[in-house]
Amino acid sequence: MLEARRIVEELRRNRVTHVIGLPDNWSAKLFESLAAGSDIRLVAVTREGEAFAIAAGLWIGGRTPAVLVQNTGFFESGDSVRGTVMRMRVPLVVLITFRGFGRAVELQPTHGTGPIDADTMSCAQLDSAALITEPTLRAWGVPYLYLRTDADATRISDAFLQAGEHQQPCAVLVTAEIK
Amino acid sequence: MLTKHELLAPLAAHRGDAVVITCMGITRPWAAYSQSELDFASADSAMGHTADLAIGLAIADSHRKVICLNGDGSMLMTLGSLVTAVQAQAANLVLIVVQNETYEITGNQPVPGAGRIDFTALARGAGFARVYYFEDPETYAGALPEVLTGPGPVFAAVRVAPGTEGPISRGGTEGAGYLKCSLAESARCLRRALANSVSRSQESGAGKERSLPGS
Repeated sequence: MLEARRIVEELRRNRVTHVIGLPDNWSAKLFESLAAGSDIRLVAVTREGEAFAIAAGLWIGGRTPAVLVQNTGFFESGDSVRGTVMRMRVPLVVLITFRGFGRAVELQPTHGTGPIDADTMSCAQLDSAALITEPTLRAWGVPYLYLRTDADATRISDAFLQAGEHQQPCAVLVTAEIK
Repeated sequence: MLTKHELLAPLAAHRGDAVVITCMGITRPWAAYSQSELDFASADSAMGHTADLAIGLAIADSHRKVICLNGDGSMLMTLGSLVTAVQAQAANLVLIVVQNETYEITGNQPVPGAGRIDFTALARGAGFARVYYFEDPETYAGALPEVLTGPGPVFAAVRVAPGTEGPISRGGTEGAGYLKCSLAESARCLRRALANSVSRSQESGAGKERSLPGS
């Protein structure tokens, strides 16, 4: 079980001021929790690429942002990630809901490190978004941690620590629906 | 239609302590009018995301005016940002689209919709509080104080003649001061300048509510 309440607690612990993003089915409850609260401001975007540039602006302006997007939205954000938060070395934590994770791990024992080609990308049993999540993060130089249950929630704090130490973004891959 | 000088000289005179974000064909020309530590070149960055960066800066501190000089080609890349700016209640944002209707940096190829696109209609549709259109230098210069004050977000489309600016880099070969250092260092310089500015205003008692938890 992964609860929105537990994630919000971790965000508060790290003094997050703004969460910028776009909801999916797994993160909907977290968006609702953030919208209902008053201490962390939720910034809704029309497309995920906006989120990273807005986060960069917030950090330059002295705030502590976090980004919340689905892995497909992270792919869409490619040049924004490269050109803003990576190029500017923004210590940003990015929560990425991992569409297709369970099925990919079940069907592909080499998940995350296995071959990616036309056959795997078009395989009807696999979600192609799941196949390229970790390889994409590695290609862009973004370190990542996994978050599956409430017991893992402190990984969010680990990600903030890592982002701060290295002055660069760190991703938290959310591999379960947030309840 | 304005020249870049007619666009930038009045803006430099009236910007006060606003942050000014530039991109593309305005990046180098702006440096001829301002060497403020509150200038930031969205160069060597993510194409099309200058307005988003400005939105982030604006909502970071609602007391600080943020002026974004965006290209029309750049604006077209992220039209959804118009909606985001309004949704985020970036009331201190002044978004100026420098409408030359070309991709100046790559040789002035026409942008999609050149000669037809109505940015003011898009901004109005997105819900901008105040929307302006200027194609005459005197009208622009006369209205600028009003544009830069009062509630926003404010949108202004300004017709400007295309120039001959080439690709922009960072480092020693660039003459503009704010292009001399890396994007990462430039971001830190602005972050420090903003934090110092808030500290100064707090010391003077002018901005007690402007605490920045991340600074």
